[in-house]
Amino acid sequence: MGVLVGKQWKDWLRQVRRVASEILYGMTVFDWVRDLQRQRAEVERFFVLVTFGDIVGLPILPPYYTLRLLPYVVPVLNRWKRNLLRERDLTDLAELIEGVD
Amino acid sequence: MFTILVLILAAAGVAIGYGLYARTIDKNIIQPDPKKATPAKMYMDGVDFTPASKNVLFGYQFKSIAALGPITGPIIAVQWGWLPAIVWIILGTFFIGWVQDYGSMMMGVRRDGDTMGALSYKLISPRARNILMLFLYFYLLLIMGAFGIAVGKTLMTNTKVPFGMISVVLMGILAGQMTYKWKRDIILTTIVTVVLTFVGIWLSTQPFMANIFSALYGFHKVEDKVVSPTWFLGNTQAQVIGTLLVVIFCYLGSVLPIWSFAQPVNYVSFWIVSFGVLGGILGMLIWRPGIGDFPAFTTFTTASGPLWPMLFVTIACGAVSGWHSLVSTSGTARQLEKETDALPVGGGAMFLEMVFATVAFMTATVAWGSFKGYQDAGGAAAALAVFSKGLANFLSHIGVPQDFGTAYGSVFLTIMALTIMQLAVRFMRVASAELLGDAVPAMKNVHVGTIVALLLTLLFVWVIPWLTIWAAFGAANQLMAGLALMLVSLWLMSEGRKNAWTLYPSIFMIVTTIAALLFLAYTNFKKLATPNITTQAFLASLLVGIIALVLVVAAAVLIADGWKALRKPRAKEAVEKV
Repeated sequence: MGVLVGKQWKDWLRQVRRVASEILYGMTVFDWVRDLQRQRAEVERFFVLVTFGDIVGLPILPPYYTLRLLPYVVPVLNRWKRNLLRERDLTDLAELIEGVD
Repeated sequence: MFTILVLILAAAGVAIGYGLYARTIDKNIIQPDPKKATPAKMYMDGVDFTPASKNVLFGYQFKSIAALGPITGPIIAVQWGWLPAIVWIILGTFFIGWVQDYGSMMMGVRRDGDTMGALSYKLISPRARNILMLFLYFYLLLIMGAFGIAVGKTLMTNTKVPFGMISVVLMGILAGQMTYKWKRDIILTTIVTVVLTFVGIWLSTQPFMANIFSALYGFHKVEDKVVSPTWFLGNTQAQVIGTLLVVIFCYLGSVLPIWSFAQPVNYVSFWIVSFGVLGGILGMLIWRPGIGDFPAFTTFTTASGPLWPMLFVTIACGAVSGWHSLVSTSGTARQLEKETDALPVGGGAMFLEMVFATVAFMTATVAWGSFKGYQDAGGAAAALAVFSKGLANFLSHIGVPQDFGTAYGSVFLTIMALTIMQLAVRFMRVASAELLGDAVPAMKNVHVGTIVALLLTLLFVWVIPWLTIWAAFGAANQLMAGLALMLVSLWLMSEGRKNAWTLYPSIFMIVTTIAALLFLAYTNFKKLATPNITTQAFLASLLVGIIALVLVVAAAVLIADGWKALRKPRAKEAVEKV
């Protein structure tokens, strides 16, 4: 019984540590990471647009090159379409100004 | 004893407000379903729509909503006495604050991750979106003006502060270099930059460093008083140079890549601010000061105006803030993994902000123990100076020297304001390019958009008095909260759910803030008729009066459209019945 209580205590401590570290991550580098993801996505979006623009009506590269690149682009194709064609609003950017008040 | 009592009161507010009221609303009205796909899962794009853990989002949401607002508001508001301030902080959060944050977050989740602009377009009317944009631009300008005055004209004129602020900026740039160019570990980067920043703050308190800025600001003795020469519009040399330093910082933050300047500076600042807050709370708990002869209630009408409606716009973010609805819909709602996470993230972060505002309230009350002490420290007119000195009083009880504590508190507030201001300028630059870019192509240029935003900021900073601009900022913010609650009510009605818990707070906020804006417009236009009015006072009254009226008219149009939208479902029901 005593061992079980000790184990429960350890599990509880581990859980507290995990929650605390996640909250700290959210407060410190989470938005930094998101900004980097956003920049990477912009480059990626541009690359796919140049190579696979015909999917959304912009024929740019000859099919030979697009076919060669296709295997590398397939994993991001759905995300790319969603991201590129999503309706945007200026208030989407409000989250970038953290801690206004 | 008073300190402990207030903390117990705040804890009770959290326990009953979050544990009972919020959970009941969540369970019985919103009925979140953990199995339902959220926008983060449905539209996952690896960037804006990405599921994240509720703990991470809680930290992110709290950091996004808690800054200078919950610190400044309570310190200004205690001029009505400590009782009205603490009652509004706790009851405002209890009945309105969390309701708005959580309600707008759930509305975003259930409406495919739409943000406030798109939601107002769809739920109210197409022109509602344009009015929201107008609100946003004025709101950000008022923020820039309010924080610009607080930092440029108050904190930066203390010769022991500027070098500390420059240290944070330099260490932020170093953090960016260490992370991206030298590929150093984040823990090492954090330790090096935070330690060096503290060394910089210590250096800023040293006489040789203070003397450099004293010479730059032109300080000299006139009849035993140290003064800086007046340059123009009543602004001294120290205030003009202080605001120009702020403007340079914001310019760099707006035009440089976000990874190289804004983000690493924000990162280093986070640690500086967190250590200050934790140290202050620890010192306060060790000291446990009483309230002394600080009055519970002073008078109904103070320098900021009558208690109703002005108290309710003076304490904005510590009780309720319209900006939170924008952050909740544009950021957090698109990252929630499960619908059930919305309450701990949105509601939980708001209740924690209430506790944060309560701590700020302590720095203006128990840290001095008397109303005279509060006034001698600067009072409502120098709220941030009151906070930095109050924080230094708390820190002195854990062994931090008073002189260092005051400089640290001032740097902490300065950097807190600047990190927001640089991002606000960035947003204003994008907004002006978007709104005016087609008509005036020059506005699409990064530098032109930034310079226009900063020139407008300088106009506000150099002309408008601190208490007036804070009241205008608070009123714009609270009006946005009222309108966000109206949107949530419309959404609830369209889904056939109970909406009294959002509609009544919405009515209260809209009526109160329109009264505050009309009061501001009336008092400022009345000042214009004063004989021998100075150019600065004339410009300030004209600007604030016009802004207040524009916001009232914009709100009236939104309310009229909202009322029409509100009646639509009822009319539809009546037709269906017939």
